[in-house]
Amino acid sequence: MLSKRLIQMLAVLLAFALVAAACGDSSSDTTATTTGGGGTTTTTDGGTATTATTTPSTDPFKMGILLVGPEFDQGYSQAHFEGAEWAMDQIGGELISLDFINPADNPGLTPEAVAKDMIDQGAQMVVFNSDDMRDGAFAAAEQNPETPMVWVSGDSAWADGRAYRADLTNLSNVWGQMTFGKMIAGCAAGLTTQTGKLGYLGPLTNDETRRLVNSAYLGAQYCYENYRGLDASDLEFAVTYIGFWFEIPGVTLDATQVVNDLIDGGADVMLSGIDTTQALVRSGQRADGGEALWAVPYDFEDACQEAPSICLGVPYFNWGPAYVDLANSVIDGSFTATWEWLPPDWADINNVNTSTIGYIKGDGLSSENGAFLDQFIAGLGDGSINLYAGPLNWQDGSSFLGDGETATDIQIWYSEQCLEGIEGVCDLG
Amino acid sequence: MSLELLDIHKHFGPVRANDGITITVQEGSLHGLLGENGAGKSTLMKVLSGFHSADSGRIVLDGREIKLANPDDAIEAGIGMLHQDPLVFLPFSVIDNFVLGSPGSARLDRKKAARELSELCERYGFNISPDTPARLLTVGERQQLEIIRLLWLGARVLILDEPTTGISADQRAKLFETLKALATEGMSVIFVSHKLEEVADLCERVTVMTRGKVVGEAELPVPPEQLVEMMFGQSIEIHDRDSVPLGTSHLAFDSVRTATGLLSEEPISLDVQSGEVIGIAGMEGSGQDAFLRLCCGMRTPKEGTVSIGGKDMTGKHYRDYLAADVKYLPAGRLEEGLIEGLTITEHFVLTGEKQSFFVDWNAARERAVEQIEHYTIKGTEASTAESLSGGNQQRVLLAMLPPELTVLLMEHPTRGLDIESADWVWEQLLARRQQGTSILFASADLDELLRYSDRILVFFSGRVIGELDANNTNVEEIGMLIGGRRAPSSGSVSS
Amino acid sequence: MTSNRLLYALIPAGVVVVAAFGLLLAAGTNGFEPIKLIVEGSIGWPPFEEGTSSKVGDTVMVWVPIALASAGLIVTFNAGMWNIGIEGQIIMGAIFAAFVAREVSVSRPLLIALIILAGAVGGMLWGLLVGVLRTAGGVNEIFGGLGLDFVAASITTYLIIDPWSRTGVASTSGTDPFPDEALLPSLEGTRLSPLAIVITLVAIAGIWLLFRGTLYGLKLKAVGRNRPSSFLMGIPTNRYLLGAFVICGALAGIAGTSQAIGFHFRLIPAISGNYGFLAILVVLLARFRAFWVIPISFFFAMIAVGSSQLQLRLDVNSALGGVLQGTLVLSAMFGLGWAAHRFRKQAEAGAEST
Repeated sequence: MLSKRLIQMLAVLLAFALVAAACGDSSSDTTATTTGGGGTTTTTDGGTATTATTTPSTDPFKMGILLVGPEFDQGYSQAHFEGAEWAMDQIGGELISLDFINPADNPGLTPEAVAKDMIDQGAQMVVFNSDDMRDGAFAAAEQNPETPMVWVSGDSAWADGRAYRADLTNLSNVWGQMTFGKMIAGCAAGLTTQTGKLGYLGPLTNDETRRLVNSAYLGAQYCYENYRGLDASDLEFAVTYIGFWFEIPGVTLDATQVVNDLIDGGADVMLSGIDTTQALVRSGQRADGGEALWAVPYDFEDACQEAPSICLGVPYFNWGPAYVDLANSVIDGSFTATWEWLPPDWADINNVNTSTIGYIKGDGLSSENGAFLDQFIAGLGDGSINLYAGPLNWQDGSSFLGDGETATDIQIWYSEQCLEGIEGVCDLG
Repeated sequence: MSLELLDIHKHFGPVRANDGITITVQEGSLHGLLGENGAGKSTLMKVLSGFHSADSGRIVLDGREIKLANPDDAIEAGIGMLHQDPLVFLPFSVIDNFVLGSPGSARLDRKKAARELSELCERYGFNISPDTPARLLTVGERQQLEIIRLLWLGARVLILDEPTTGISADQRAKLFETLKALATEGMSVIFVSHKLEEVADLCERVTVMTRGKVVGEAELPVPPEQLVEMMFGQSIEIHDRDSVPLGTSHLAFDSVRTATGLLSEEPISLDVQSGEVIGIAGMEGSGQDAFLRLCCGMRTPKEGTVSIGGKDMTGKHYRDYLAADVKYLPAGRLEEGLIEGLTITEHFVLTGEKQSFFVDWNAARERAVEQIEHYTIKGTEASTAESLSGGNQQRVLLAMLPPELTVLLMEHPTRGLDIESADWVWEQLLARRQQGTSILFASADLDELLRYSDRILVFFSGRVIGELDANNTNVEEIGMLIGGRRAPSSGSVSS
Repeated sequence: MTSNRLLYALIPAGVVVVAAFGLLLAAGTNGFEPIKLIVEGSIGWPPFEEGTSSKVGDTVMVWVPIALASAGLIVTFNAGMWNIGIEGQIIMGAIFAAFVAREVSVSRPLLIALIILAGAVGGMLWGLLVGVLRTAGGVNEIFGGLGLDFVAASITTYLIIDPWSRTGVASTSGTDPFPDEALLPSLEGTRLSPLAIVITLVAIAGIWLLFRGTLYGLKLKAVGRNRPSSFLMGIPTNRYLLGAFVICGALAGIAGTSQAIGFHFRLIPAISGNYGFLAILVVLLARFRAFWVIPISFFFAMIAVGSSQLQLRLDVNSALGGVLQGTLVLSAMFGLGWAAHRFRKQAEAGAEST
């Protein structure tokens, strides 16, 4: 009995072995190609979008990037993908990318395994684009100590940070000061709201997301009071967290439903904190139905295009400059594990070459309010407006900043609670 | 339509199911095909109806050779087959079953079909309403439905494979009447059976098959002995049974009544002695099944007590009855008895006396071979249950019985079996009786009931309508009771 | 007979190869490259080359839960049950394992043993629940199982967001990693755990023996093939059905344990990796034979781990791996059905009946 079974098994294995053996010959001529839509291995040089079908004579710089979500999500992951593409464009490098690196979509795939594959393919620098890849980034950095790596949004290379890993000398952190972007977003919302109530669609609760919620709230209060002459304490601000950076059916809350609930609760401007565009899309659908609604998406500079008429603008990441700097530091050998929290270029926050954080105004923002917004941005830039100034209390009533006290980076980075006045549970833990 | 089967060969591996069969069926004739189980009758008919394709040989219909690749081809050519188990979809209504499989089914004119169904029913005296759910039909009515469906589809040759199994005597009479009427209309009828009397009753000509070959043909009537000789080489004698002295009470019902449905109206009281054989008669579904299930603990009475060997067993589980050596063999041998896909050896292991966690397969196989020989089962120790013919399945079931039995409950012990197997089954049962086992068996075969029972219980419409002493009754009396009429002596007539 | 059996195996294999190549050519690849990439991305090219140990480790540790779940499903399938609830049983195993891993601190060997035991118990209880719903409540095991899958997934999400959330973080991305002592001992620099391999192989051999050599297995098979007949033979059918769910649940629970302390090193919402559903396909392809589970589930593990290469190296979406997997399953089913059909015709020999 057993021998017959073995024969059957061997037959199948043999079949696969034949297939495998037949592939062996064609192994040497892997080519990299580009296409307009689904291309993932792209070679570009000198900024011209030519289709490269031959291997350049001198090896170009290769950067690998792991994206937590889909590479065309109109949000967080796409911003990284395009920033990385732009950066490689600038320096004549080549990009290796893989999206959907999360255990729900790819249960058998770990970030460290993907990083290893990318290194095997010649990647000289590997970027992990999500806070969620922390363990994978640590493991990869430990396993490949010679390869410079970047964990986006982390604090492992910040000597003052709480998760400082002095041993990981090849792992940098980079993040943008989106606190400013969110203040601007909040300001636009505060300027526009008719009902005096704003809704914030939150991702998961952690220091970073609370930091952004707080910033949006502070921006909204400031502009509501200073430009509209209304009482900031009358402005309502509700936040609901869905549980993850983007919606995973059956695991997170239904983002569209959350938007509905917030609107039904009286909010007429939706601020998005998640990586995808439900806040804008759902508000747009309901606005088409006759309701007076607006929204502010997040992350990606073209995010407004899904419902332009109600879009008040978008605070976005422009990762290109950061990636150019990082890649150049690898190329010239100056790479060290550093923690970078990059501010906007206040001279022109939408300068693609220099500003990591930008804000593009949307069609939904009136020109009058647009002028106020510019005033506000200028105030932030010249330091005349500092919203993280006391007195400010935490949501539980305890004091965050005393009267006259201004917050340090550490205090803002590690936002343990939402601020007093914000409705909603900001620490699900 | 005249039909010729010329030199049909059909082999399954080494088994020659049909080994050069030639048969001619005249137009408008009732042609019997007689043979014991495994003679190759069913294979031949499956070839004729397109379910199997022959290895070689020709089929000629009205002088024209036809090729049958599938059942559709056969019905197209006018050959309709009525299977042993009518192919009826129980969840559907009669009319849905009727139109199922009609050609060009893209557009179903159900109204027209229903009208035609009613006309056909009227013509042949069937009483089937188009909207009745098929599951409410008796086996006999399902046959009727299938027959008129085949006629409606244009069948001119009608094959019936053991059609009298599982239908009542009345329905059988009705069936024969219908077939005779069809023959006079020019329909050719092939009647496949192993029952001598039925073939003798119905047919004008008979072909006898044994082991894949035609061994004889005759114009009927001929003396039955001649047919038996063709089938078995010698005529079979019927032995008188020995009388067994009755002993202690093995099974007792004291005013037993179920909560709802069958057997809920009149309480039953009964005392079955050791060595006693109780025949259970009645139209199908009159309560026999419920009664037998009460006897073995598969149903629980609402009132009254059930005792086995003098011990009160009311409300006990089936397995407690099993432990008290009560065994129930329902009619469906493959549904409630054997297990498809398991071998004979595995069946013996499952029901064996010695049960150890690890199975010694070598010993089990040896034992199975012994049993196969002892019970003359046609099959090997590695044969699966479904590969055996009905008679051999029954042999395996009997071989699986425990050595000690207090009460044996059986439904249709010889249904579908040839005479030889049927006699063998009763030999076994009577041997059990000699050991003191009480036997209760349900049967639709009145001869069987009269021949083997000590007492006969007749069920009608969910109650026991009569209890007869088998030595002092006759077919007529039982027949009347089965039809719901009290015996004249009792003076009462029920509706 | 042997040549027949060989053919029986070669027909499906042939169909699979043809279908796979058809798909890969249609997807605009040259047909061979993707397969080579999947092999390379999962076990290295040439296979098991030096420096691929980390990949091989990942693939093996994906294989472990698929194979364990498949072994369990052989039991429920033989008992005639579609244990769709296997996903929930894997998840429950992971939850129980996570609880012990988080809360208990004893010596490492004892801790690992306790975690595995807890995982088995968790899966077992969840399986038993499906069985009880089925036998006592008359709830079809498919619906009961699906419902319990959902409940188990919701419990995981709740635990991760609320009581077991990371310090200061409430993210559905997962709990904090378990302490090192609670992780399956593995080879240096890889996830590969010899203990997990041994447990898996022992489980498969055990299932083989169960149906090959024990009365219990035979009775399970009898119950699965014909419950009324088995009941009449005196087999307590409900008890055997529950037994099947218990055995399957325990193995699924260990699969979940391996996911928790051998692969992800923490509890995440997608802890089952859908390997339970995948295992259903494995078992159908293996035609309920225990030893076939080993290569078939390894093949699935290779696709799960290796198909990212398609996107990394070729201009195709890694979803092609999933499509390829689906095509392989369907074509293998078709091939098996076709072969079975051919051989049934020949095997009708003894089936002559009146």
